[in-house]
Amino acid sequence: MKSQLLKVRDLVTRFYTEEGVVRAVDGNSFHLGAEETLGIVGESGSGKTVTGLSIMGLIENPGRVESGSILFQGEELLEKTPQEMLRLRGKEIAMVFQDPMNSLNPTLKVGEQIARVLHFHTPLSRREAKRRVVELLRQVEIPEPEKRIGNYPYQLSGGMRQRVLIAMAISCNPAMLILDEPTTALDVTIEAQLFELVDKLKAEFGIGIILITHDLAVIANSCDRVIVMYAGRIVEEAPVVELYDNPLHPYTRGLLESIPQLDKEGQKRLPSIPGEVPELITLPKGCNFSPRCKYVMDRCIQDDPPLMEIAPGRKSACWKAGEFGE
Amino acid sequence: MSTADIATRTTDVMTPTVARKHRGVLEEVWHNFKKNRLSLAGGVIVMVFIVIAVFAPLLSPYNPVEQFDAPPGEHHPLPPLSRSKEGTFFLFGSDKFGRDILSRAFYGTRTLLQIAISSITIAFVLGVFMGAVAGYWKGSWVDELIMRAVDVMLSFPTLVLAIALLGAFGIGKTHIGPITLSNMFKIAIVIAITYSPRFARVMRGVVLQEMSEDYVDAAKVAGGSGWQILAREILINTIPPLIVQGSLMMATTVLTSASLSFLGLGLQPPRPSLGIMLNESRDFLFLKAWWYPLVPGVFILLIILGFNLLGDGLRDSLDPRQARRTRG
Amino acid sequence: MGIYILKRLLLAIPTLLAASIIIFMLIHLAPGGPVRVMLGPAQDAALVEKLRHQLGLDLPLHEQYLRWIDKALHGDLGISVTIQRGASVTELLAQRYATTLELAFLSTVIALLIAIPTGITSALHQNKLADHISRIVAMLGVSIPNFFLGIMMILIVGVFLHQPWGTGGFVPLHKSVRENLIRMLLPSLALGTAYSAIIMRMLRSSMLDVMSQDYVRTARAMGIGWGSIVRQDIVKNALIPVITVIGNSIGYLLGGSIVTETIFRLPGVGGLVITGVFRRDFPVIQGIVLTIVVIRIAVNLLVDILYSIIDPRIRYGEEGK
Repeated sequence: MKSQLLKVRDLVTRFYTEEGVVRAVDGNSFHLGAEETLGIVGESGSGKTVTGLSIMGLIENPGRVESGSILFQGEELLEKTPQEMLRLRGKEIAMVFQDPMNSLNPTLKVGEQIARVLHFHTPLSRREAKRRVVELLRQVEIPEPEKRIGNYPYQLSGGMRQRVLIAMAISCNPAMLILDEPTTALDVTIEAQLFELVDKLKAEFGIGIILITHDLAVIANSCDRVIVMYAGRIVEEAPVVELYDNPLHPYTRGLLESIPQLDKEGQKRLPSIPGEVPELITLPKGCNFSPRCKYVMDRCIQDDPPLMEIAPGRKSACWKAGEFGE
Repeated sequence: MSTADIATRTTDVMTPTVARKHRGVLEEVWHNFKKNRLSLAGGVIVMVFIVIAVFAPLLSPYNPVEQFDAPPGEHHPLPPLSRSKEGTFFLFGSDKFGRDILSRAFYGTRTLLQIAISSITIAFVLGVFMGAVAGYWKGSWVDELIMRAVDVMLSFPTLVLAIALLGAFGIGKTHIGPITLSNMFKIAIVIAITYSPRFARVMRGVVLQEMSEDYVDAAKVAGGSGWQILAREILINTIPPLIVQGSLMMATTVLTSASLSFLGLGLQPPRPSLGIMLNESRDFLFLKAWWYPLVPGVFILLIILGFNLLGDGLRDSLDPRQARRTRG
Repeated sequence: MGIYILKRLLLAIPTLLAASIIIFMLIHLAPGGPVRVMLGPAQDAALVEKLRHQLGLDLPLHEQYLRWIDKALHGDLGISVTIQRGASVTELLAQRYATTLELAFLSTVIALLIAIPTGITSALHQNKLADHISRIVAMLGVSIPNFFLGIMMILIVGVFLHQPWGTGGFVPLHKSVRENLIRMLLPSLALGTAYSAIIMRMLRSSMLDVMSQDYVRTARAMGIGWGSIVRQDIVKNALIPVITVIGNSIGYLLGGSIVTETIFRLPGVGGLVITGVFRRDFPVIQGIVLTIVVIRIAVNLLVDILYSIIDPRIRYGEEGK
């Protein structure tokens, strides 16, 4: 059993807005081991990014991490002071956000921005830092790194900016990396390169990676295990191959069914999940997915199914989970 | 785009703006107005002064031009809450000719608002028309021509332009051939000319923004008689920002009118004017006649403040950025 | 970037020309013709003709305009007809512009000294007490007419507090720097208050905007200290639009100087234009308006160039994916 890098238990994060209380993360538990890639898949608003932000300690007004436990390398993150979290962020845990276009300071040179991170977390001198920056840029496969450090972000393409952000994230050799939708803003070809890079880093440095995405293809290609989120809750957890082979939750089944298959003859309409995602302020009683579920029973509307272990390493939040299987 | 996206319909769960789209434009404005404390305060202040302006004759204790010259020995201006030897009570004091400042302030508000409202209306009509035309035919020679003209006009600072125009036309009644323009009307026109370029620019910007919205493309694709409806939709959506701009420009117009009167280029005495009262007060500062400048000054300040609060408050609540929330 | 500058320059020239035509036409707008206005309605026709010829007003319009522009380009703005008969308008203006520009400069300095710290603090402590107070004060600052403020200042400082420098008047710099500056204090405050309120609000809004940008989030996620973030990410980027506001305020300053100079009896260009209007001295009015417009257009151009240097986005052009 690989060492548990991260252990999250019963995490609850809420946002107190004018319109009501948004239950963004509603009592979720999961874990991540070293050299492992955990995928968190779900649509916009399912709570996946908020999960990442909660781990990083970046939840701000009007949001708050209400309760739960986040154990990182055995230490409770939710009990740390802001200063302690500051030292942890960027050094032990790093997060790369989606949409790199605006994620770099437009008035600072790219090299300076990475050097800044080093300055805050390492005792490197200016010259040493500069060398390290060039080395980092080379590691993320940016050509002509010596020239690039003097560039401003606007001189770089989206893919390159994304790499710079990754360079920043790995600059201090973190133990854990959280990537939020790293490929949404990029072309498919760049996407492939990016994951090669991430795999390389994982193998070389033994980093544990949390990959947040809505893209099932990305999950299939790069994750070891997956958790599926819906309306703030984890509805399924499984190793990646098993998830695709035999999903144990109607939502996951729906998602996978809707992928167009080249070999399915006579497929006239792309099957889709009817209905809409509920607003996180007004969640239904009982199972969150019940209004849209084609397997729905009376029990689903009354009782909210918890995340249950169906088999070792396989969890599902569905009363019918045991019945799925081919 | 991944397949999972095509399959499931995603809505941005955390931004509950869905409900808003179903309200009419004017209702939306009214709702925002009521919700925002700033704009509410501004609205109240403006209403108060409009009431003063409209009902000035009823509210003023005395005739604003009546001079209560007392028998020799009386020294005007008298301080507030004093009585002249003949028994006239001056709530806000009297001015250098023994006129009641309160009444003059009320009537002054009336003339100031008259000028401001008429000039803004003219500027609005002119500017909005030009801006709409320029925006609609964006890129054409019409657009170029109008925007160049706007640029030229905007290279003159407002007060300077107004003064230059008034200087050219002369002070007092103007006769252009058979038409006699009253002084007030002339001032209103001059101010209107000064401010219409700004309206034109704003309107054009708003029209361009609306035209880049998706519903316009959709309507164009739909084609047919969509044009009329389209034009109307665009115009309706320009109303909220125009109201905001209008309110803020009222504030500046009031300031400009008052400045012009102060400089002696506005309404001529003995017509009551807040600006002139401030000018007159200068000679009496050394006599410590603090009420003389204070009363008209505070009136002008509050009127401008009211319009600023109104415009600002509305702008803040109509700003789509307010709906920003953290994404899930 | 050179192309950008060239483009702006090419745009500025026709604007300037068109404005000059308008200024030129001003004196001909007056009903009855400029001479009539200058001399008054009831004048001997022969006298009117003589004056017209003397001033070159009997030539065809376009010729008059060309003459005027030609002279102006050589620095000759005409001769004053009523204020100081025969004096060169250019000379008159030169002395007075020194005063007005000093007023504009000092007002800007005061405005920035107040606005920048206030704007930054206000944004960093959004919705707390300090922020609310600053915003209310800024609101008042924007709404108070500068002539009212000026008069009240004279009343309080000059009359109630008996300070001689509080009653206006001007002492040239070369006579006494101290006297000059102390007498310029109140006028600069009067003119600078509304200005500082505008800058403060702009800065606050810009700061709030920047604070919600992705790159601030990145910096925080990387564990960068708040102080460094405020300095290098927030303020640095937030000040950029403020520069545009400052540059474009030259119009406000020149316009506002008209009133401020009148109240505080400063021998500047603003005061002169009023005198020119009352005394119907058209060459003076035209000269002042023309120079104001030229200054304004020139400053706007400079600001645009400066902006393009500072904001690397414009410098290098936006290169997307």
